[in-house]
Amino acid sequence: MRADAEQSALAFGNYLYQLLILTTFAGILTAAMAMQYAFGELPCPLCLLQRAAMFGICFGIMLDFRERFSYRNVGLSLLNAVFLLVVSARQSLLDIYARPGHAYVGSTVFGLHMPVWSVIISVLLLIAYALQLAVLGGDRDLPNLPASTCPKLKRAGEVVSLYVMALLAINLVSVILQCGFGQCHTFGYALLHG
Amino acid sequence: MMVLVFAALLAAFACGWRHKTAAAIGLLALAFVLAVALFLWEIYSPQYGFAMPWIQVERAAPHAATGEG
Repeated sequence: MRADAEQSALAFGNYLYQLLILTTFAGILTAAMAMQYAFGELPCPLCLLQRAAMFGICFGIMLDFRERFSYRNVGLSLLNAVFLLVVSARQSLLDIYARPGHAYVGSTVFGLHMPVWSVIISVLLLIAYALQLAVLGGDRDLPNLPASTCPKLKRAGEVVSLYVMALLAINLVSVILQCGFGQCHTFGYALLHG
Repeated sequence: MMVLVFAALLAAFACGWRHKTAAAIGLLALAFVLAVALFLWEIYSPQYGFAMPWIQVERAAPHAATGEG
């Protein structure tokens, strides 16, 4: 085993990196929900699936903070990142050519629509995980360093995880109101219009 | 079906939070399978299948139009 200081630095760097990714996705999901409730932009079915993929990415990171870093948790997040990329790429291609009944829904952010942003976000996340694995992946001690090695980061990670869970609970209620138990539409909240 | 995806996800988070890791991963897997199935159902068109003919950029090659080659 290496010196404690070196292990602590390794754990700190790893959990800080995880916390940054988790906080970024919490921010993205908050922005999406703010646009839904403040500007009345109801998410389309593929948009909701992209949100689900983002929550899936957060799930793997939450397990890291609740227990310890694990390559299995990284795998779960990566699987959801690939799913996010597939769904967002397909949605971008669906509306890329203007034709009747097909146009990008919602407003733009810096000129780009949400599915295009999702493509960029998923690619950036894949790069972030590739870098993490390339730099830290060869370290045998990493999975043996529980989040409690860095108490403040663990606490912060758990707070953000709880926030993401709250967002997910609000999303579930919102999906029930929008879709009921049938197909989702962007016309309005199905259960609120009888 | 979308409701089931989000319900399974929330249950996965709740189990993960309570250190019931096996159940949490099982529920996440369920949510993932449902999401993939829903995605395939959403993008399937009776007219085009899974194809996207609106992004077809292939044009007749010049030699085909003139009967050459």
